[in-house]
Amino acid sequence: MAEKACRHCLRVLEGLNCPICGTSDLSEEWSGLVIILDPARSEIAKKLGVDIPDKFALKVR
Amino acid sequence: MSEDSKIFIIKTTANQEKSVSEALARVSKKELLDIRAILSPEELKGYVLVEAPEAGLVDMAIQAIPHARAIIKGSSNIAEIEHFLKPKPVVTGIKEGSIIEVTSGPFKGERARVKRVDEGREEITVELFDAVVPIPITIRGDTVRVLKKEKED
Ligand SMILES: [Zn+2]
Repeated sequence: MAEKACRHCLRVLEGLNCPICGTSDLSEEWSGLVIILDPARSEIAKKLGVDIPDKFALKVR
Repeated sequence: MSEDSKIFIIKTTANQEKSVSEALARVSKKELLDIRAILSPEELKGYVLVEAPEAGLVDMAIQAIPHARAIIKGSSNIAEIEHFLKPKPVVTGIKEGSIIEVTSGPFKGERARVKRVDEGREEITVELFDAVVPIPITIRGDTVRVLKKEKED
């Protein structure tokens, strides 16, 4: 199954719902990828306001 | 011993940026490496950005990753790469009245005048010059090239 991105939190996921937002408002058209491994010490995570390790799209259509 | 984050750049095979990012995340978790984030902006072809405190562990991590070629000497700081975190909407710079050329899709090569710009959906509505009947069509903002901006007066 193709990976989709949540239109609300930009999380990249498989399945029909975003596990965090619960929404089914997902898009197959997304681009850019950022993987946050250590949100507590990542400057990128701070800039993006991410506090849970996960994968995110930079842009979702 | 520096704990501060730096940004290192990895050269990858073209179009393998995402697979290198995913593989690097797996290696980092498995080997418990202090890699904090991995960034692959769409506009940066052939490179992946890695946030870590030092180059050595990044260099070590990429050794077993296919399509990760080498780490570029030196490092950047977060301020230098911050713009990648806020991609510009693709219709930025396209205004009502602009003359554009369609660069892909069924109307490729056609010239048109922009009637409306929808920044949120990244779409523009245009009227083709060579159409027999000037029907407005809506196309994606990333499938056009601006030929002439509207005069500002
Ligand atoms: Zn979500």
